[in-house]
Amino acid sequence: MSPWLALSPLLVVGIGSLTVMMVDAFSNKKDDLSILSSAILIAAAAIAGSLWFGGLPPQTPEILAPYLAVDAMSQFFNITICGGAALCAMLAGGYLREHDLERGDFYSMLMLCAFGAMVLSSATDLVSVFIGLETMSLGVYCLVAFRRGSARAIEGAIKYFLLGSFAAAILLFGSALLYGATGHTDLLGIGQTIRNGNAELGLALVAMSMLVVGLAFKVSAVPFHMWTPDAYEGAITPATAFMSVVVKAAAFAVMLRVLITCFGDPLSAGAASGWPPIIAVVAVVTMIYGNIAAIYQSNIKRMLAYSSIAHAGYILIGVVAAFRVQNTAVSAVLYYLMAYTVSNVLAFGSLIVMGTRGKEAVTFDDLAGAGKRHPMAALPFIIGMLSLMGFPPTAGFFGKYYVFNAALQADSGMHWLVIIAVIASAIGAFYYLRVIVYLFMKDPETGAPQAVAMKSGYVVTALVLSAYFVLEMGITPSNYLKMALAAAAGLV
Amino acid sequence: MEVQLGHYLALASIIFGIGAIGFLTRRNVLIQLMSIELMLNSVNLTLLAFNRWASSDHAGQMFAFFVIAVAAAEAAVGLAIVVGFFRLHHTVHTDQANTLKH
Repeated sequence: MSPWLALSPLLVVGIGSLTVMMVDAFSNKKDDLSILSSAILIAAAAIAGSLWFGGLPPQTPEILAPYLAVDAMSQFFNITICGGAALCAMLAGGYLREHDLERGDFYSMLMLCAFGAMVLSSATDLVSVFIGLETMSLGVYCLVAFRRGSARAIEGAIKYFLLGSFAAAILLFGSALLYGATGHTDLLGIGQTIRNGNAELGLALVAMSMLVVGLAFKVSAVPFHMWTPDAYEGAITPATAFMSVVVKAAAFAVMLRVLITCFGDPLSAGAASGWPPIIAVVAVVTMIYGNIAAIYQSNIKRMLAYSSIAHAGYILIGVVAAFRVQNTAVSAVLYYLMAYTVSNVLAFGSLIVMGTRGKEAVTFDDLAGAGKRHPMAALPFIIGMLSLMGFPPTAGFFGKYYVFNAALQADSGMHWLVIIAVIASAIGAFYYLRVIVYLFMKDPETGAPQAVAMKSGYVVTALVLSAYFVLEMGITPSNYLKMALAAAAGLV
Repeated sequence: MEVQLGHYLALASIIFGIGAIGFLTRRNVLIQLMSIELMLNSVNLTLLAFNRWASSDHAGQMFAFFVIAVAAAEAAVGLAIVVGFFRLHHTVHTDQANTLKH
């Protein structure tokens, strides 16, 4: 297979974002940028799908081999990332026009971030991990700061930027030490050197903990979560949706690749040594803290930010389980990420559809009684909340089920982890159901501002698509699990 | 005394530590940005030292070039955000960034 063909999903998104930039610069008609960018992203997802199902080459083309993997897992993430980004571009098409923020740079920035995320999720070398991570992150900082005149947006961006760069520096120092310990920068070479016992083990362990810190920051695991609520609240809602789905998926992809490929040897991946116990502890703290902090939020975007922290905790359980039952656990994580992508787009999309200019739904009180006034807009909100809560038959339920199942199969020492996760998700049900209670059972106080639902074909399309996938993944989960299993088999 | 790998690594770790402490203790965004640059440059020093003493290929040299390029991009985006912050608050102290409550 020629390297051009193997890279075509990346090239389509990269050249597409430049095209969008040019159209924005030279055209007076800016209305259709949302359609253009989501069409390009969907095309890239379709190309990734046809590359995958049309038969991947047994080996990555030689010129790409050390840096980027062209395997089933990278195509899986290309589809998830491009699909999620396309839905966010549709949400932006409605949101930006409604709130008079219509600027074309949003779409090209969004696509460049998606490009970085795609590089990151198929990176197999410390250099390409770093470049993918920074390409994605630098774009996301700009997306958070998109509403330049808003003190909240700039504040969220400055906090995210400072902490993000700090974490990137730590990750980079870890990469440099790992290079020193093994003499390799490609993940496969590093893994082989450690396995053969030719590495400086002490140095490699220090490097591993620094890499884990840097990656835990990107997936917003406690105690590296401080930026999450602020950045989520400050950013405009389509950008928040993008951060919570695309950035998270790519960060988990690279976390799996680094931990399994580099540190898959028995010493670094044991039940009592190496990364599994560290990540297990992080997962427990993340689940408990995320769920409890979410209860106390009055702002819905902050509530969803803490919910996204809690979900990172559940996914980390799957990552831990990968040290024993690699295929089952990795496929569970992949399924979870796909389910989380569509559920979260649905939740943020419903929040967008509940607001018009000056009458945006921000807090729970704004939502009071909105379900009675706009039942059709409340319906996707209910499906999204039930899926995030893990209520059958939605995508979220099977995501949790597969992850917990993988943990139970992995090691008897992980049973307590699953018990804590189940308790944490029971706590989580409280604040998800609270949204539904406010929508239908509360009446707005007299004189309080009321959210008015918007009418936008773009947002409705995104909501219909994501609601379809949330239900489809919940009703026929085996098809998607099969896909995830095929993708997980590519990871060595 | 001949300069060995260990000396370079010690120097790089000290610079990284100074950068990290500077980032965590100072509240001026510009100084925090400088601290991050220090940390990135200590990484470059580490990469080059390992490349000279402990490696057969030039992967470390190549990596350092990428780090330099990305650091420049990061500084550009960071300063743009700082300019936006300064326009609103007329200061570059992160203590003023307290609109969003926990």
